[in-house]
Amino acid sequence: MALLEVRDLHVSMGVQEILHGIDIDLGEGEIVAMLGANGVGKTTLMRALSGIYRVRSGTITLAGEDITNAPSHTIVARGLCQAPEGRQIFATMSVRENLVLGGGPQGLARLDEVLPLFPILGERMGQAAGSLSGGEQQMLCIARALMRSPRVLLLDEPSLGLAPKLVKLIFDLVAQIRQQGVSILIVEQNARGALRVADRAAVMEGGCVVLAGPAAELASDPRIVEAYLGGHVAG
Amino acid sequence: MAGTNPAMTLESVGLENHWHESRGLFGPNLPVPMDYYLQQLAIGLSLGMVYALMAIGFTLIFGVLNVVNFAHGEVYTVGAFAGLVVISAFAPPLIVVLLVVVAVGALAGVGLERIAFKPFRRFSDEASLKSRAMREATLMSSLAVSIVVREAVEIGFGSQFQTVPLDRLLNSPISLGPVTIVSGDVIILVVAALMLGGLQYVLKRTNVGLSIRAVSSNPLGAKYVGINTDRTIIWTFAVGSMMGAAAGILVGLYYGAIFPSMGFIPGIKAFVAMVMGGLSSIPGAVICALILGFSESIATIFVPSVWADMVAYGFLIVTLIFFPRGIFGGARDRV
Ligand SMILES: Nc1ncnc2c1ncn2[C@@H]1O[C@H](COP(=O)(O)OP(=O)(O)OP(=O)(O)O)[C@@H](O)[C@H]1O
Ligand SMILES: [Mg+2]
Repeated sequence: MALLEVRDLHVSMGVQEILHGIDIDLGEGEIVAMLGANGVGKTTLMRALSGIYRVRSGTITLAGEDITNAPSHTIVARGLCQAPEGRQIFATMSVRENLVLGGGPQGLARLDEVLPLFPILGERMGQAAGSLSGGEQQMLCIARALMRSPRVLLLDEPSLGLAPKLVKLIFDLVAQIRQQGVSILIVEQNARGALRVADRAAVMEGGCVVLAGPAAELASDPRIVEAYLGGHVAG
Repeated sequence: MAGTNPAMTLESVGLENHWHESRGLFGPNLPVPMDYYLQQLAIGLSLGMVYALMAIGFTLIFGVLNVVNFAHGEVYTVGAFAGLVVISAFAPPLIVVLLVVVAVGALAGVGLERIAFKPFRRFSDEASLKSRAMREATLMSSLAVSIVVREAVEIGFGSQFQTVPLDRLLNSPISLGPVTIVSGDVIILVVAALMLGGLQYVLKRTNVGLSIRAVSSNPLGAKYVGINTDRTIIWTFAVGSMMGAAAGILVGLYYGAIFPSMGFIPGIKAFVAMVMGGLSSIPGAVICALILGFSESIATIFVPSVWADMVAYGFLIVTLIFFPRGIFGGARDRV
């Protein structure tokens, strides 16, 4: 049984159904990438997983426990944390306070494990989070999620709006975080980077998963290459 | 709003007469002795501290929910009446009265949240969170609670001023050189300063306080870090209402004026201070409450009683026209 199991997940906003039955498995220590164009429902999926949006039908299971429609704070306490789209950091509070809040009841207990991954944050602890650069804010967002020692980390477009060098850094970080035993579900527009670090990947279209398989296989699938990697299969 | 209820207007004026016993003493052409300025400044300080205690409740709640709590003035009233009941029944020392009042205030805040605010938070999708209808609904529900509470207090105690035992009034004179103030000025200043200090400690150093600030700063972000936002909102009401209730009993014992609609005018003044301070900044609200208190007590030297209230309304209008984001401007720590 996978660590995180999503079965036939349906999510609606008002009368409009956004997700039409999604299935995902995320194994222990695995990285799964979720690809898809704008507006296909990737963020909606991530929000449903974190308990921000209500699920209409289907189930979400974390380590064998049903967390479907559980309150967001329970889901976090069970070990599923997210670095969400738009970062959602506490801009008016200091970097340190953001990390304390990320740690929840543990506070800064995990700081010594998290901070080495994000050396730049160590120099900014007293600064207001809103005054950080975009890249630093993204680091803070991920660091904040890690402070709770999650079993599953959800990353919603962590490379969005960052310079190529930082994008590479973020993907390297993702690989490093997995080394610490965290399973990762990553949503990305940057298919190339995501497929490079991921073990498996899935493609969403119009609220459904239309394609899934090992990342290496998808990276050479002509449909993916054409639609998401901007080119043709070499050879 | 006050104009529709003659009894309330009369009482509001009654309150005003107590607030500024010495207003209009000096005509526009008479020289004002320096000591008198100092005295009025001392009174202004305690007045401003009371407004500050009230304004903090407004500000905290606006911070986490983005709504104005129209029942905040009634929390002040309930605090005063609770204190009076305790005094009549057990005549305990002032510190005990204050502790009981603070506890009652916290309970009143929790109940208020449960009745007037929680029911409108069932829908947590973004569309309803941002909808104006949702926000206006809680304006109406908190206004409704405030009317019910006021009427209930009136049925229980009558609409007239309550009799406060004379020995409990905080009016023993204290001479500081040429200036004479009363014990109430000192007590209000000390209690308010302690509560402000305590609040700063809670907001900066405790989990509850950090959660309150986090929800104010980014409600969605708060959910992602696993903060129980519903519980944080309840805490916010408890903390804010403690301060409001304490202000109520302090003022009640200072002026001997405890009556069902006593919360109305201070509620308005605190609201003005909150708007001037930028809606969700506690330091802003406290500074503006003090400015308001000083301005009003100085104004009473020169203008008759009815006009001193205009100071607050004047500030409000000037703020709304020239500083729509508060007189200290925009980006800063909410709460
Ligand atoms: N709160 C909401 N209310 C109404 N519709 C919504 C809401 N959230 C998302 N939607 C709709 O659901 C669809 C999917 O949105 P979602 O944000 O999940 O897309 P996405 O795949 O994350 O896109 P992007 O790559 O641009 O971030 C969109 O059509 C969007 O308009
Ligand atoms: Mg998205």
